[in-house]
Amino acid sequence: MQSTILLTTFLLMAAVASIFLVSLSAASAGDGAEKAPKLEGVRLKFFIAILLLGVVVSVSSLRPWPKAVAAGSDVIHVKVTGSQWSWEIAPKEIPVGKPITFSVATTDVTHGFSVYDDGGHLLIQSQVMPGYINQVSYIFEKPGKYRVFCMEYCGVAHHDMTDELLVVAQ
Amino acid sequence: MAEAHVTRAPTASPCPAEAAVKITMILTFVVLLLMMAFGLLMRLNQAAVVQLDPTMFYRLMTAHGIGMVGIAGMSGAAIMWYFVSRHASLTGWVFWALLSSFLVGVVAILASIFIGGFAGAWTFLFPLPAMSGGVWDTGAAALYLVGVIVIGVGFLIYLVEIGRALIQRYGSLSNALGWPLLFTGHQDDAPPPTVVATAVIIVFNGIGTVVGAAALTISLINLYLPSFTLDALLAKNMIYFFGHVFINASIYMAVVAVYEIIPEYTGRPWKASRPFIAAWNAVMLLVMAVYPHHLFQDGVMPAWAMVMGQIVSYANGVPLLVVTTFSLLNYLYRSGIRWDLASALLVTGVFGWSVGSVPAIIDGMISVNNVMHNTQWVPGHFHLYLLLGEVAITLGFAAWLARGEAGELLSGWKSRGLIIYAIGGFGFATVFLVSGAMSVPRRWAAHLPEWQFQDQLGSIFAVATILGVGIIVIPMIKRLAMTMRA
Repeated sequence: MQSTILLTTFLLMAAVASIFLVSLSAASAGDGAEKAPKLEGVRLKFFIAILLLGVVVSVSSLRPWPKAVAAGSDVIHVKVTGSQWSWEIAPKEIPVGKPITFSVATTDVTHGFSVYDDGGHLLIQSQVMPGYINQVSYIFEKPGKYRVFCMEYCGVAHHDMTDELLVVAQ
Repeated sequence: MAEAHVTRAPTASPCPAEAAVKITMILTFVVLLLMMAFGLLMRLNQAAVVQLDPTMFYRLMTAHGIGMVGIAGMSGAAIMWYFVSRHASLTGWVFWALLSSFLVGVVAILASIFIGGFAGAWTFLFPLPAMSGGVWDTGAAALYLVGVIVIGVGFLIYLVEIGRALIQRYGSLSNALGWPLLFTGHQDDAPPPTVVATAVIIVFNGIGTVVGAAALTISLINLYLPSFTLDALLAKNMIYFFGHVFINASIYMAVVAVYEIIPEYTGRPWKASRPFIAAWNAVMLLVMAVYPHHLFQDGVMPAWAMVMGQIVSYANGVPLLVVTTFSLLNYLYRSGIRWDLASALLVTGVFGWSVGSVPAIIDGMISVNNVMHNTQWVPGHFHLYLLLGEVAITLGFAAWLARGEAGELLSGWKSRGLIIYAIGGFGFATVFLVSGAMSVPRRWAAHLPEWQFQDQLGSIFAVATILGVGIIVIPMIKRLAMTMRA
């Protein structure tokens, strides 16, 4: 997913840069006496096009709801507690192919619970807030070791707040 | 020596506290270079080229964050002050008071970090200032919070004074906001673009600063009275509301320079049309409604707030880009503009702001944020629109302020400095974006070996950025100092 995001971003940035390059290439032409072209109609069309694109992107990206938490009798619940600067995870061994819901809490400051695969890709994350229990769900497709990192700055050993999960075949 | 054809706009009255504006510009360059050096040190540490103790890394990170946000706010405030004085009568001591409060705040913040050991990040996320794990004591955290509050008070006085001056000149805030033209279509009543933008900025930045001051004060009391506590989610909402509003206001305040200076180069006045006023008034609401996009990973936030955060993230970027970027390119088209350092930097700034909005808007989608939040994607997008946006516009304003009666065309070291800065800045931010897509977390003192190649590359671009900015600002500091002595 991340590579698609990066590629889309670079393409859109290149489009913006191209508009600037094309426009600026004609900036030095003219003798300064010309009036600026009347482009109110173009601007309105541009605005409407951007607006319509926004509606399409918003609707398509919000369905299904990206923060949905898995529920049901087959869901495995994992309790995660963050403290400066370690994780307590129970159970640490979870089955492959089953919906897992992590319930995350903290004993002190705000932390950021995240799970990375063995290729170093961030799969899921959730903020870990004092006084609240946040939930995040995921189905692990492959067995193996997954790394747990802290994603919210929580003090001077923040980068050492790491752990592991083991996903096992049933 | 070739000269650019530049027409000076008539100035209604000399800018009150112009010397303070120039001092602010010089201060901006010094702080900017120092904070860039801190940033380079952090990147070199992540690249394993230098070895910093993690406590020192996070102190530098705290100083870099608050320093850059603070100086962006101060430079933006100086620019807006300078140009509002063309349209309304301002009281000079107020800007001196802002500058003084900033300097007092900076001393307190630097002392809290480098003497007291405070390393709670610039965001002072509640309750981290009070719970350092034994690394810094209560006094250090209190000094940091007091320093930020002092700066905030200076900003509040500044915003109130500008509001007073606009109301005195235009009769009411709604007139300054351009509502008569917006709702009745009377073109004669249209205030200049600078006035409309300024009126919008003082409304939302005033509200943001008050909310920030409340969060800071509660955190301060909590340090000494732990039983006086605040709901962590509410605190987070307040802090990110303040932070988002303040940094956006910093960019928008600087953008005023584009509205005022570019017409001097093109001979085409920038007019406050109905779409212009509608866009700025929309931004006044949208910029305050967008902040929940910082809280997408807080599952307990209401779903409606998250949906609003995503939709407004997109909607907030559109109006200003349509009226500022589109109009700028339209005004420049076949204008016969002769490029000098000031005009080139101002246009670079609008480019950096526009192109930096792309990864920011994309990160404002919940499904993207799920895998990009707090990765290096975040510094990737904000370095684009701050380093190549706000900073470039500020440099452009200072170049315009420091130039003689006729500006010198862009050539020689000025041209090289601009190219090195632009390549360095763009490369630096792009490496962050790529690292974010590779899931590298932000705000980590020590990096895994597989992340260190990008860190080394980022460090090289950081050196180029510092070199480019140095080449641009050192002659400018001399010119500004000379104009102050004259």
